[in-house]
Amino acid sequence: MSTVTPPLLGPELLAQLERLELVSRKVFRGRMKGERKSKRKGQSVEFADFRNYVAGDDLRFIDWNTYARLDRLFLKMFLEEEDLHFYALIDASPSMEFGEPTKLHYAKQLAAALGFIGLCRADRVRIESIGQPAAQRAPVLRGRGSLWRMIDHLNSIEPGEHVSLAQGVKNFCLRNSGKGIVVLISDLMDKQGYQDALRYLLAQQMDAYIIQVLSQEELDPPIKGDLRLVDCEDDDVAEITVSAPLIARYKKTLSAFIDGAREYCGRRGMTYLLANNQLPVEQLVGSYLRQRGLVR
Amino acid sequence: VDIDWLNPLRSLPKSVFDIPTPWGSFPITVSWGMVAWAAIAAIPPLIVLLYFLKLKRQPLEVPSTFLWHKSIEDLHVNSIWQRLRQSLLLFLQLLLIALVILALLGPAWKGTRFTRDRLIFVIDNSASMSATDVQPTRLDEARRQVGLLIDAMQSGDKAMIITFSDKARVEQSFTDNRKLLRERLAAIQPTQRQTQLGEALKVASGLANPGQTAFTDSDAPVADALPAQLFLFSDGRFEDVKNFFWGNLDPVYVPIGQPLAGNVGIAAFSARQEEERPDKLQVFGRIENYGQAEATIMAELYLNDALADASEVTIKPAESAGVTFELDDFERGVLKLKITPDDALAIDNQAWTAVNRPRRAKVLCVTAGDEPLQYALTTGRAAEIADVTFQPPSFLATPDYQKQAESGAFDLIIFDRCQPGGTPRPKMPHSNTLFIGAVPPEAGWAADPKAAVPQIIDTDRAHPLMQLVELGNVLIADGTPLNPPQGATVLIDSNLGPLFAIAPREAHEDAVMGFELIGDDGSVGTNWHVRLSFPLFVLNVLQYLGRGQDALASAAARPGRPVTLKTETPVAELTITGPEGQSTVVKRGKSDTFHFSGTDRVGVYDVKAGGQSVEQFAVNLFDPAESQIEPRTEFKAGAAPVEGQSGYEPSRNEGWKWLVVLALAVLLFEWYIYNRRVYL
Repeated sequence: MSTVTPPLLGPELLAQLERLELVSRKVFRGRMKGERKSKRKGQSVEFADFRNYVAGDDLRFIDWNTYARLDRLFLKMFLEEEDLHFYALIDASPSMEFGEPTKLHYAKQLAAALGFIGLCRADRVRIESIGQPAAQRAPVLRGRGSLWRMIDHLNSIEPGEHVSLAQGVKNFCLRNSGKGIVVLISDLMDKQGYQDALRYLLAQQMDAYIIQVLSQEELDPPIKGDLRLVDCEDDDVAEITVSAPLIARYKKTLSAFIDGAREYCGRRGMTYLLANNQLPVEQLVGSYLRQRGLVR
Repeated sequence: VDIDWLNPLRSLPKSVFDIPTPWGSFPITVSWGMVAWAAIAAIPPLIVLLYFLKLKRQPLEVPSTFLWHKSIEDLHVNSIWQRLRQSLLLFLQLLLIALVILALLGPAWKGTRFTRDRLIFVIDNSASMSATDVQPTRLDEARRQVGLLIDAMQSGDKAMIITFSDKARVEQSFTDNRKLLRERLAAIQPTQRQTQLGEALKVASGLANPGQTAFTDSDAPVADALPAQLFLFSDGRFEDVKNFFWGNLDPVYVPIGQPLAGNVGIAAFSARQEEERPDKLQVFGRIENYGQAEATIMAELYLNDALADASEVTIKPAESAGVTFELDDFERGVLKLKITPDDALAIDNQAWTAVNRPRRAKVLCVTAGDEPLQYALTTGRAAEIADVTFQPPSFLATPDYQKQAESGAFDLIIFDRCQPGGTPRPKMPHSNTLFIGAVPPEAGWAADPKAAVPQIIDTDRAHPLMQLVELGNVLIADGTPLNPPQGATVLIDSNLGPLFAIAPREAHEDAVMGFELIGDDGSVGTNWHVRLSFPLFVLNVLQYLGRGQDALASAAARPGRPVTLKTETPVAELTITGPEGQSTVVKRGKSDTFHFSGTDRVGVYDVKAGGQSVEQFAVNLFDPAESQIEPRTEFKAGAAPVEGQSGYEPSRNEGWKWLVVLALAVLLFEWYIYNRRVYL
């Protein structure tokens, strides 16, 4: 891990991100007046529907023209514009501390970038980590001015949270019942499997994005010789003698794992994205996530 | 301790594995050897131990062992191969140490050390070398062994190949071209001839001992002496060579053949008319058992390839038995005697004899009148053998005689008290002669003056002319003691000097009797003609000098020996067809005889004159030296006996160097693998 941690967001990146906006494939109910269409009917310029007048309705919305023609009272309804809930869920398990830059740092960068986009578009942005206790809630951020609060919050996330992915996601879901976009940034390297965690997200009926962050060392291990591999999370040991077939087999297993995750997500309407920690964040956001439809 | 199973090279031909003790050059006691063995034996377990100790793996913290476990599990599906792959270094080390141990054992195989850089391979290809007691044949075995020696030749070694049967043949003169030697070696063919070593040794020693060809001490050697090592591959069944000096030759005798090889062979086979019953033919065969075990033999007689008779005989070891068959007489045909079961040597399991129409000798008797002689020459038996013409001495002067004598029209001319004439000097006829009471007009022959009552003191009974002739009761009135020429054989010796002698002249023989049967005046010179021995003698004369063949005694030829043929009527050439169908045209030689030397194969040869078959003769082995196939362990050539050696000059071909080289190669390979194993 490098001693000098690069800033989460550079000025150029910020300038680039300002032009983007988060897109949700679903329409959710927001909490406050915002810039997004909401399921809720409300006050905006955009017509949504008619409905029969019942006593007590606001007379201002009666469509008098229809009354004149049909001699019945109809109420005009308009779409409400509300804010979007954007959640970034960062896996801060010890395994995220590997790589150069560390996967955690990369995850933070990614969360900051996406969060900034949300802040610029007046969305509710909440950034949480997996290991966060169930009761503790992260601050809800709104508006561009909250950027530094967000950065501070991100910086306060420390690696080494020994919580399983499933448990962490469950806690997150318990805390945040609101609908919205959730981006899970994790390496998915959990011995119990990532499927449970994703199922929780699915149950929440959120628009879920899974970004699997893997370090270059994991994708192409630069190791040699007879090794005793120690798992940093549970001190599990794997003794290997590195050989070309073993490396080939590892890569095959890894790609099978990635493909498995991608397929799992794809089948359940979640968007999966593999991120190499060597890939610059701006490129990831500007091109890959754009293609996936998370930002516009 | 039998350690042959340890010998990694024991499958190599002629290999031995001696001194299986490490550090064999030390003065070894048994215990020291055991310690050394134990030390060496402890090395491989040590290496295995080190290998496992070496497996201290470098710890490395990774984000997750999750995928690694999966990968390893996947690889374990193929686990045997994986273990092999992972243990490759171990195997290489074990191989390395095995090679080193083998090298320390000092493996060696018995090789051939040539004491000289010139080699002479003398290979026997006589009849007995076709024996199959060594598979496929002895000759093939000899060829194989010579091939090994050729392989063992170092560069610069030169070798020559000589084959010998009853004559020697240089198959390849000295060369260092091993390919050529191998080609020539492969081209050696077996013969059915007898064995004579002398000529081969002379050829071989010609180059090694050039000084031997010098006649006096002052003669300079023709060439420098070239010492050579002579390898003799034979069964040793030849006569010892006398008057031979090895000189610069190192003889190595390699006996070929199984030591106890047995063989049953036909030693004689003939047919003749029975004396009492001329219409019957008696066929006689002698079968000899050369083996160590009693043999029961079925002897089958074939007449013109049709089974005529058979007989079973049991022969004790080293004994012989006769088989006789009686057949009705027939004009001509081929009799074949075949013995079964087959044994190691096939060539002597068959014998042939040809029964021919008798050819009578043509005899001219020039006499002024000699009743006893005339009677003896005109008996019924004599008439069967010979066609005798009587002429007075005056006939000698006629041109008719000159012509007939010149052309060899007669087999025998008897000059009774007369001599052939001729101008400017007397000319002897081209035929055998018998002079009675006269001396041939030929240089060398002379006679003393007539002396009274010579006493016969000795006769040469071994000579065919004198066989069965008993002269003890013969008195001679007077005789002229003879001075026969050089090379003559005295057949009757008396107190006064030789009375009967025979001497060769060109292709003929002259027999001269120094006493008269009947004097010119009619007086009786001897009482011989009233003795039983006289007609016998005359028959001997007709048979031997007249070459009058007994009715059925065909020429008993041996393989490779020349055969002399005569025809009843003069022809220019004969066509002789051998047993394998090969035809040879033989031109008439001097004195109306035909010399045929192509008798290489045993069997029946058919003689044709002008497309007409006139005669058949058989060639048989009939040689105890060839039929006795048990190899001799030593033979004598010159003064010292040469002992057979089973494996030539033994030498230790060290193998450890190659093993060490191999071990080094393995070491290098191991080092490479160790460094590059990731990519394996």
